[in-house]
Amino acid sequence: SVNSCNPCLDAAKACNLNAVCKRQRSAYVTACSRSAPIASSPEPCSRKRCHRALRQFFERVQNDLSYPLLFCSCRDKACAERRRQTIVPTCSFEEKSKPNCLELRRICRSDALCRSRLADFHMNCQTTPHSITSCPNDNYHGCLVSYVGLIGSDVTPNYVDANHANITISPWCGCRGSGNQETECEAFLRDFRENACLRNAIQAFGYGADAGFLP
Amino acid sequence: KRTKRAKKGTKPCSLTDKEVTVSQLGLGYVSDEVILFRYCSGKCVASRRNYDLALAKLKGQRLLTRESTDRARHSPCCRPTEYEEITFLDNHSQYHTIYEENC
Repeated sequence: SVNSCNPCLDAAKACNLNAVCKRQRSAYVTACSRSAPIASSPEPCSRKRCHRALRQFFERVQNDLSYPLLFCSCRDKACAERRRQTIVPTCSFEEKSKPNCLELRRICRSDALCRSRLADFHMNCQTTPHSITSCPNDNYHGCLVSYVGLIGSDVTPNYVDANHANITISPWCGCRGSGNQETECEAFLRDFRENACLRNAIQAFGYGADAGFLP
Repeated sequence: KRTKRAKKGTKPCSLTDKEVTVSQLGLGYVSDEVILFRYCSGKCVASRRNYDLALAKLKGQRLLTRESTDRARHSPCCRPTEYEEITFLDNHSQYHTIYEENC
């Protein structure tokens, strides 16, 4: 079949055939597409509502249905674009301007949930030279769970483009205007963009290497 | 011959489903995403009322005019009573929500 070469399409099918996944996916897409209550508002959607619906999706849907939508392995652009679209990035990810990453981190740290999710991510996806997988304790699953935990927070990460051969993950921020904190900002951004542990974990999931589901 | 037809028509009105791609729905959406299309089919023999029985009898006796018997149905239709939405991503990376049926 045409679909068998697109694992992201297979993941969508599996979700559509499951009542809970179908309903929850529909719920977050609706929340992330609906225009703001005030008609004259320049915002195309309610970001807050969209983020909440995304968090609910990943909390309420079993991981073996939700993770393949996000971490499917791609061999072409169409597939990678579908993967990038999973979280409805126009609402949940992109903004008109790119804030400074340290400013974004400051906003995140002022929120209890975001602060703990970010700490989890830094702990579980920290690239380590001491393991084969580059992940702490070779625990891919731990890293992926922490990554998913950030979705729907102020530092929501996503694939930056539809490049299937070389994936780049980033939150929506940059390091312009960091002043004397530029090094710190670059380091923060590198934890997403050039993170061997995270990249290996995503690739291992897509290619089914132990599926990343360790206890 | 009669038994064969009787056997074939015994399935009561109920929800059936079929896996189809969104494109196959013919609604103008182009998406290879597979959805479970649920629809109503079957006979509504069990829920016939006196009205239906009487109408069937009158039609059988040719007591009604030809034009009116063609359109007069002597059993309830098997149709959805509720609908639910389904969301999908089309091949141009746009999300859409449509309504599917539920008996």
